[in-house]
Amino acid sequence: MFGRRQRAAPDTFGSEVLRYLEPLYATAMRLTRNRADAEDLVQDTVVRALRFRDRFEPGTNLRAWLYTILHNTWRNRIRDTAREGTDVDSDRIEELAARAEGPVDVETPERVLLRSTMDAELREALDELPEAFRQAVWLRDVEEFSYAEIAAMLDVPIGTVMSRISRGRRQLYEKLSRTRNDAQVPASR
Amino acid sequence: MSDCRSVTEQLTSYVDGQLDAGRRIELERHLESCVSCRRDAAYERGGHTVLRHHASRLRDEPLPPGLRARCESAVREQAGASLPGWRRTLVPTVLSVIILVFTASAIFSLATRRSDAVLAAQLTADHTKCFKLFAPADAPAMGAHDVEEMLAREYGWKIHVPPSSAGLQLIGARRCLYADGLIPHVMYRANGQDLSLFVLKGVTRNASDLVTFGHRSQIWTRNNTTYVLVGPADSSGLADATQYMIKEAQP
Repeated sequence: MFGRRQRAAPDTFGSEVLRYLEPLYATAMRLTRNRADAEDLVQDTVVRALRFRDRFEPGTNLRAWLYTILHNTWRNRIRDTAREGTDVDSDRIEELAARAEGPVDVETPERVLLRSTMDAELREALDELPEAFRQAVWLRDVEEFSYAEIAAMLDVPIGTVMSRISRGRRQLYEKLSRTRNDAQVPASR
Repeated sequence: MSDCRSVTEQLTSYVDGQLDAGRRIELERHLESCVSCRRDAAYERGGHTVLRHHASRLRDEPLPPGLRARCESAVREQAGASLPGWRRTLVPTVLSVIILVFTASAIFSLATRRSDAVLAAQLTADHTKCFKLFAPADAPAMGAHDVEEMLAREYGWKIHVPPSSAGLQLIGARRCLYADGLIPHVMYRANGQDLSLFVLKGVTRNASDLVTFGHRSQIWTRNNTTYVLVGPADSSGLADATQYMIKEAQP
């Protein structure tokens, strides 16, 4: 991967990178949860991709490579600034997960879908997930990366990726069902 | 396989349809007899289904104005096609310095008192990077009031922004990328030279004037606020602009 000096034609590589701006920005929005950070993150990602273009192996997946840069950049940034929400300590995630997973009545997926889940509501529920779960479910279910690709992006073992996807999906679904139940429960019960 | 733990570990592959037939049948047999795993499987499938169903709309986030243009300009600069020879070598050099400074300085925080050299290095890196990324050569002048309003609206900052004056043009403001993104960075051009004013509220420092990475940083404090003006190392031609900023920066 390193030390490769072969260059793609400059305009081709650059315009290939620019093709992914929208998905990168959508991902950055869910990662950072605010527009200014997402904008900075995407811009940094593009600048780094151009800067380290020699490390990209032509013929491999450019989209996955860009997502890896995006997540590395974000990880470095939150580690360095020690900002809130950076805690990917697994004990804490387990604890959060355990707290969130009480036994509740759930609806069938079909019914949740039928009530035309608003995109805003879904984004909100996603944003409430612990960051590690949010990244994993987003990369899997929205961006459709493989477990191995996600493991490389997040720099964690595949088993961890799968358990985060699992937790993330379950918590998300529970939040959405709960929103629905809260709205429907009559005052006297 | 009636072990709940091993079922839990395989739920994701199961929901994703990636279990082979034998293991899938075994897992489903367990689900029939285990309420708790059945519930987990229903939740996981539910979350997966909802996300897949909404995936294309979730991906649909409109780009903020200007982001594409700035990225395109980064691509053009990198390609270097339109650059004269000296800039072609300068740009990568500057970028390396930025990345080096960024990596080296990211471990510091402006919240703690560090040496002036570190502060100057951090802000010089931000100055270089922001001008490179966000300020095209023909950036139009902006009204100080508009910039103040934008900073208040976007970041909740209430600061006084010195307006353009003779030979000095206010061209915009950003949130400083480093230092936790907590510092307003106001950008000016004076006689074609890039000038940055950084405003560090609640920070007191002794006045200082130093050159770092080919840029001059002038640091001064008024009313519990530290101001840092970053510009070209040889700012002899910018004496008026500098005096003006020092006079105008505080409200």
